[in-house]
Amino acid sequence: MKALLFLLTAAPIFAQTPDLEFFEKNVRPIFASKCAPCHNEKMQSGGLNLVTLAGLDAVVMPKDAAGSRLFQAVSYTGRVKMPPMGKLPEAELAALREWIDMGAPRPKESAARRSRETPLNSTHWSFQPVKDYSPPSVKRESWVRTPVDRFILSKLEAKGLAPAAPASRLTLLRRVTYDLTGLPPALREIDDFLADQSPQAYAKLVDRLLASPQYGERWGRHWLDVARYADSTGMDEDHVYPYAWRYRDYVVQAFNNDLPFNRFIEEQIAGDLLPGAGRQGIIATGFLALGPKPLAQQDRIKMIYDVVDEQIDTVSKAFLGLTVSCARCHDHKFDPILTKDYYGLASIFASTKDFRNLGRPGSVSYIYYAPLDPAAYAKYQAHRWRLYGKEIEMEEAMAEDATRENTLLRPKIGAFLTAAWKVRHKGLTVAAAAEEQGLETKQLEKWVAWLKSADLKKWDEATEQNLDAVVKEYQEAYLASGKKWDDQLAGWRRRFTTEVANDRDIPERPKFGRESNPFFAAATFDGGPMELHDSPRVAQLRAELKELQQTMPPEPDMASAVCDGPIIDQHVFLRGDHLSQGEPVAKHFPLVISKEMDAHVKGSGRLELAHWLASSKNPLTARVIVNRVWQWHFGEALVRTPNNWGTTGEKPAHPELLDYLASRFVESGWSIKALHRMILLSNTYQMGTAASKATREADPGNHLWSRFNRIRMSVEEIRDTLLALGGNMDQTIGGSLLPEGEGKRSRMDPDSVRRRTLYIPVRRGSIQAVLATFDYGDATTPSEGRPRTNVAPQALFIRNSRFVVDQAMGLAKMLLADASLSDTERVQRAYLLTLTRRAEPFEVDDGLSYMQGLRQRLGKESTALQAWQSFCHVLLSTNEFLYLN
Amino acid sequence: MVFPIPRRALLRQSAAGFGLLGLRGLLAANAAPANPMAPKAPHFTPKARRVIFLFMHGGPSSVDTFDHKVRLDKDHGKPVPFKRALTFGEDAVRGLMKSLWPFRQYGQSGIEVSDLFPHVASCVDDLCVVKSMVGDGVDHGAALLQLHTGVFSFKRPSMGSWVLYGLGTENQNLPGFITIKPSLGHGGQNNWSSSFLPGEYQGTAIGNSGMKVEEIEKEPVPYLVSHGLPTDQQRFELDMVQKMNRHHAALNEHDPDLEARIGALELAFRMQIQAPEAFEVEKESEATKKLYGLDNEATRDFAWQCLLARRLSERGVRFVQCSHSYKWDQHSELKKLHTKNAAEVDKPIAGLLKDMKSRGLLNDTLVIWGGEFGRTPWAQGADGRDHNPYGYTIWMAGAGVKPGFVYGATDEFGYHAEVNRMHIHDLHATILYLLGLDHERLTYPYAGRNFRLTDVAGAVHHGIIA
Repeated sequence: MKALLFLLTAAPIFAQTPDLEFFEKNVRPIFASKCAPCHNEKMQSGGLNLVTLAGLDAVVMPKDAAGSRLFQAVSYTGRVKMPPMGKLPEAELAALREWIDMGAPRPKESAARRSRETPLNSTHWSFQPVKDYSPPSVKRESWVRTPVDRFILSKLEAKGLAPAAPASRLTLLRRVTYDLTGLPPALREIDDFLADQSPQAYAKLVDRLLASPQYGERWGRHWLDVARYADSTGMDEDHVYPYAWRYRDYVVQAFNNDLPFNRFIEEQIAGDLLPGAGRQGIIATGFLALGPKPLAQQDRIKMIYDVVDEQIDTVSKAFLGLTVSCARCHDHKFDPILTKDYYGLASIFASTKDFRNLGRPGSVSYIYYAPLDPAAYAKYQAHRWRLYGKEIEMEEAMAEDATRENTLLRPKIGAFLTAAWKVRHKGLTVAAAAEEQGLETKQLEKWVAWLKSADLKKWDEATEQNLDAVVKEYQEAYLASGKKWDDQLAGWRRRFTTEVANDRDIPERPKFGRESNPFFAAATFDGGPMELHDSPRVAQLRAELKELQQTMPPEPDMASAVCDGPIIDQHVFLRGDHLSQGEPVAKHFPLVISKEMDAHVKGSGRLELAHWLASSKNPLTARVIVNRVWQWHFGEALVRTPNNWGTTGEKPAHPELLDYLASRFVESGWSIKALHRMILLSNTYQMGTAASKATREADPGNHLWSRFNRIRMSVEEIRDTLLALGGNMDQTIGGSLLPEGEGKRSRMDPDSVRRRTLYIPVRRGSIQAVLATFDYGDATTPSEGRPRTNVAPQALFIRNSRFVVDQAMGLAKMLLADASLSDTERVQRAYLLTLTRRAEPFEVDDGLSYMQGLRQRLGKESTALQAWQSFCHVLLSTNEFLYLN
Repeated sequence: MVFPIPRRALLRQSAAGFGLLGLRGLLAANAAPANPMAPKAPHFTPKARRVIFLFMHGGPSSVDTFDHKVRLDKDHGKPVPFKRALTFGEDAVRGLMKSLWPFRQYGQSGIEVSDLFPHVASCVDDLCVVKSMVGDGVDHGAALLQLHTGVFSFKRPSMGSWVLYGLGTENQNLPGFITIKPSLGHGGQNNWSSSFLPGEYQGTAIGNSGMKVEEIEKEPVPYLVSHGLPTDQQRFELDMVQKMNRHHAALNEHDPDLEARIGALELAFRMQIQAPEAFEVEKESEATKKLYGLDNEATRDFAWQCLLARRLSERGVRFVQCSHSYKWDQHSELKKLHTKNAAEVDKPIAGLLKDMKSRGLLNDTLVIWGGEFGRTPWAQGADGRDHNPYGYTIWMAGAGVKPGFVYGATDEFGYHAEVNRMHIHDLHATILYLLGLDHERLTYPYAGRNFRLTDVAGAVHHGIIA
């Protein structure tokens, strides 16, 4: 990026040296007005671009005005005379000379690289306050049901376009039922709606759907996409977040309870700090805690700031529609967002705790999990420490006993083997052999007994001549293994103590590698003669340990959440590098909106950030969520770059409607359900998808909302519908599907899950094929809305997967189970269930003859169930099933 | 077996890819064909048309394989005499350790290869050995992500996805970017993800490192095998679906989305018939199987991968990766396990090189061999080596690179790359260059700016280019 445009921007607003101030006041205006009109990026008259530092350097010799080509030109002393239309006034010439003689001070790149817009003078539309527009008047008043329609219709009328004809009642029923619950209308719901001929039938339907618990599952899922929700850390190690599901369930409940959206924001950013938010508040901060994390990154500071960056990116995109993280290394290239703004926010998140501790070198860092019942957790932890303490105490006692015993016994192993050999092969009595070798009889008895079943071939086959050598070999091997084993245990005890002290994973007690010395293993463990028996002291400790194990309370409820950590005084990191610290920055929020470089926060500043984000004065927050809600209803947003409201984002075709909705939304107490009603009850929402050729040509992208968008079902809708139709859905709400005692990398086969798709745990490192195939996304950054691609792998899933085949079978069985139905009625019912419409008579005929044809092809063995299964699979494979009109 | 031909003439001509199809654009009456997978013109004349990447996951030791260090032989056992950079396992640093395997010179070029790779050594005159690789990731996850995507702090498109985005692919019935038996750890899917590039450019995984070949062969691509009716009955069923779809499309103004899905269903059906053929490694001749070592238990897995890679390359798949995963991470038991690992891949790799060469495929296919980093010149614990991203060896063979050539060098201990340092960004820039793509021009707009595989770095190393 060579063009710095720095001469065209207004004076920087930050404290600066007097030299720079001189440049800003007296010199920059001359360049901007007298030079830049020709010597700019585009024109580069004479090959000179004076809006860049490089261009400036080419013509200015600091401290040598007379030698500077610039001064030669403007003073009309050289061959080139500039500006061409007349010499500069004396005052300006003097200023230029003085400036060059000062050494030509100018802003450094970082300050210069600012975009045309500066934070304090930005005119960009989305940074301006929300305006409360009145709904415009329209010609065709009869079309207007709600104020939304006025905004839509007036623009259509201005273009000479007409809105599409209304959708049929059944189309509307299917549309709004999927829209609000993600599921197809059930038979009874179809009957009820058709039977209700009152004018309020549709409004009642909307109310019923908004009140159903499935509403939260559907709309919570939309939000989870923005929150880049997943059940694992992704990145390098992809560890499971075992409590992520609590955040997911919180989101579902927040939508079901119509939690005011401003409160929803506050809880997700700082629920742990909000008075009265309690357990729910802690869980809500999972929004910050559940991002991707590079746990094995060995440069821990970099890791922490990568997590901070991820949080800045997510928060700024999700709530503000801004790409603040672009300003990590330099001021934002397009938007008036400063590197200082970035580090103002970084300061807040760096003061927030995400990690319990940073692990050992060469290992991973440990994620922080928040206890939801601090008292129970304290008790639980105390118990754990007591238990570990007891365990190590017992181990130390055992080690002491072992040292004592082993010192005595290990050197005598050769003697035991010699004596035992003589008992076996020379007919000596145990007592005699013991006496000969200077051993205790009782101990020798143990050896003799053990050797009867032990597999010591070499010993057994020893002769008198080589007995000493054989025995010595055993003796030495035992001593070597013994030392190794003692060291291994001692090392483990040391590590155990350190890891407990550092609250890291407790290492497992080592196991002796039997294959390295089978003799040692057999003699030392499992009833061998060298096995140690608990001394009274060890036995006592073992009993106490057992008691502690048995009384161990279950782990109290935990959450993936954050809390305040040590408060950081943040500096700018030059070029984003934490090893190059720049100037300090106060905790603050992006200047272009906040207009303050210091938010004067307490603690981490998260609470203040939460309030600031959720404020009705913030010009972006309400607009951004209203835009998303519109997108989730219509498949497209009003601003079609929902995470980028900056200068490179899309300007809406309906800014007035956007602001109107945002105003009403705030007025309603940030009620999402009120917003739904405003939109759903409009005629705009109830239009059909059909549009005239003229309309389609005039408004090909449907930016004017001249018709309803046909939308391909999401993977959740597809899978959940199949389960529901196949009669296999488990409608339980909430809870964790992570396997008990899950391994770090356990995955789940979605085809085996009968719960709604929302509940399938998602590993960032291995997103299930069916989800990935249907545009689930990667759960790594806030979603801008799922793409609705149309590719062959999706067709392969629908046609070939066992899952779909099974659901078609379930549906077929259900149709056949009702003996009172004729086949004609069964086809009609299948249409109603899968497509929410009545089958035309020819369609019934086609269906019946299809099944007949199939059975003929399959031959005599074929069954009616086979035919119905195939017919159901056909229906579930059609476009009409997959696309919502 | 004869199947009804798709009805729409338009679809019959369609070159849309492994479902990757912009059929929507294709079918829109006035729009130009917009199949994102169609072959695209490179920026300049390419030297290679496709890539096979043999990835040695875990980090094979360079000083024990291709980078012979006399100084280590001499100073074996002495304390580490230089300053160590960020090290993974700080607590177990021991003295310098010489190569546990002797090196010999091979071929006309006389390039040194250790006794770990006798078969590869027999192809040494085809290799371009780069001894000066540099990366930034000290742990596997970071190193894998950087090797595959250029970056490890964020999720970014994989190099295979960039290549596909830049060039499209030559066989529309197969995915254009295939990764065989990849690891699900250390970045997992992120290593073959298209990230912000359109989803069509996502890599297709054939099984994963935890699966057995026989398991994968049953269904190499998800849902490629029908669990419903036999094939001819399926066609009958699909005809019914399409009849309903055409009726529905006619009622809905022939919405291009609806028409596109009619095409997608046909394509899927065609793929289901045609794609499995590419995976039928068993159909190769006995001689070929033997050449790769498919007949031997130890080499079978990687032989299957290499042979499959050749079959896929031959059929025009743009980017194929084989993974020997996750094997090479010898923090201990270097002698035992490097021996075992090398034995598993040595013959298959040599087989691949010889087979590709005899078929002329090496003329336009670039083969790359390497891990995510090398290993330290000092011992870790009693008999291991730690991670070393600061200077390690990879090699390339085939299209566009100098054969029988050594490029770059590490310091006398084999720790830091010193001569012609090739950072991973440089490697990426060079691979793209060989494929006819300028890494600075292969960009994609995302989050308000243009991104590239090489971020803001990378330089083509012309020194290795033939």
